[in-house]
Amino acid sequence: METGSRTAAGKEMLKLDPRTKLAILITVGIIMMSGKLTGIEYILRLICTCVPFLLLISVKLYKTAVISALILFATVLCEGFVIPNTKGILNLMIMIICGVISRFGPGYICGWYVVRSTSVSEFVTVMERMHFPNIITIPMSVMFRYFPTLKEEYLSIRDAMKMREIGQSIKNPFTYIEYILVPIMMSTSQIANDLSAASLTKGLGAGRKRTHICSIGMTCIDYILIAAMAAMLVIFFVF
Amino acid sequence: MKTKFEIKDLITVGIFTALYFVVTFIVACIGFIPIFMAFMPLIGPIFAGIPLMLYFSKVKHFGMVTVTGIIIAILMFITGHPYPIFIFCIGAALITEFVLRAGKYSSIKHCVIGSATFSLWLLGMVIAFFFGFREAYFASLVDGYGQEYVDKMQSYTPTWMFFAMILMCLVGGTIGGLLGARVLKKHFKKAGMI
Repeated sequence: METGSRTAAGKEMLKLDPRTKLAILITVGIIMMSGKLTGIEYILRLICTCVPFLLLISVKLYKTAVISALILFATVLCEGFVIPNTKGILNLMIMIICGVISRFGPGYICGWYVVRSTSVSEFVTVMERMHFPNIITIPMSVMFRYFPTLKEEYLSIRDAMKMREIGQSIKNPFTYIEYILVPIMMSTSQIANDLSAASLTKGLGAGRKRTHICSIGMTCIDYILIAAMAAMLVIFFVF
Repeated sequence: MKTKFEIKDLITVGIFTALYFVVTFIVACIGFIPIFMAFMPLIGPIFAGIPLMLYFSKVKHFGMVTVTGIIIAILMFITGHPYPIFIFCIGAALITEFVLRAGKYSSIKHCVIGSATFSLWLLGMVIAFFFGFREAYFASLVDGYGQEYVDKMQSYTPTWMFFAMILMCLVGGTIGGLLGARVLKKHFKKAGMI
């Protein structure tokens, strides 16, 4: 379960503070979800489309970076230049397809990057520094760690179903969902038990102040990036 | 009945909120197509109700569902939903909390009702279409999504739709809850996991 977060952390070119990553995630999320397609906001959207590309490059996933950048740019340009010139049902079709990709895509990639490149320890330490209460921090860190696991679980369940030739010809969607969801729920409650045992061993329940060995600190780049994100949000909301 | 939060509870909250959120998010993506948007409050809770029931069966004291509500609100806010989502998430979570408490955290009937009331947070996602937000929101959408899309959206969401959506949430949540209860009985009770 650890593999997802650990392998990527070692080979980053650019090490960002988790606070910076959160700022990027929020900015890209807000601008891509609710940005307009005209004027200054369209330029902001174009800038935000570059962000996932740069983030993926920084964890050395060149191929993924190029492919996703091509798709995202195609959809955003499509929104800007094709949609105003089409009408009727065609307009609606392009609108929906491009809309789903360009609005959820960048946020999804940024979120994936944050989960992938931040270790749980870093995340908890930073949340502690920002004075979030434990009651929110611990569930959230568990969530962050659980998302990649969920995907792995889903893939292995799908494999298992293929192996036994279930799932190709199911007519009733509820049966299909039951076949997927029930094993996931089973493993989820198992993982919950395992994690509580593990965290007890690590002394999370001791009620003392937590110590850590990961190095967290804002560097020059962090300040520049946070300032840039804040500036973008200000431009976004004021104009 | 315990009242204090333990680490185990917090982990349960985290992991089941993650599962619930993923299921809801996948269904919500379908909501981008205008006609489905109107029925999203009905479809969403039906699917999401299944993991939610398993979660409720593990909730043992006051406060856990509220934390789930707060976390969902934060995640929704990060992914670009307007601020009323906080009011709806926390409100729905608190109502659910009292419903579950009335059933002493062990009655299946109360869990089903709780599943219905918890689904009400979905209204926070669509509140922008209604009431005081309506005009300004659609005006901002015209630039973002194009006139055709907005016209479609507007025609699917007259004001009475909001009240219909409340009903849809409750009905969808109940169906989801009953479905979840059946799944739990069929798979989890037998395996001795509850």
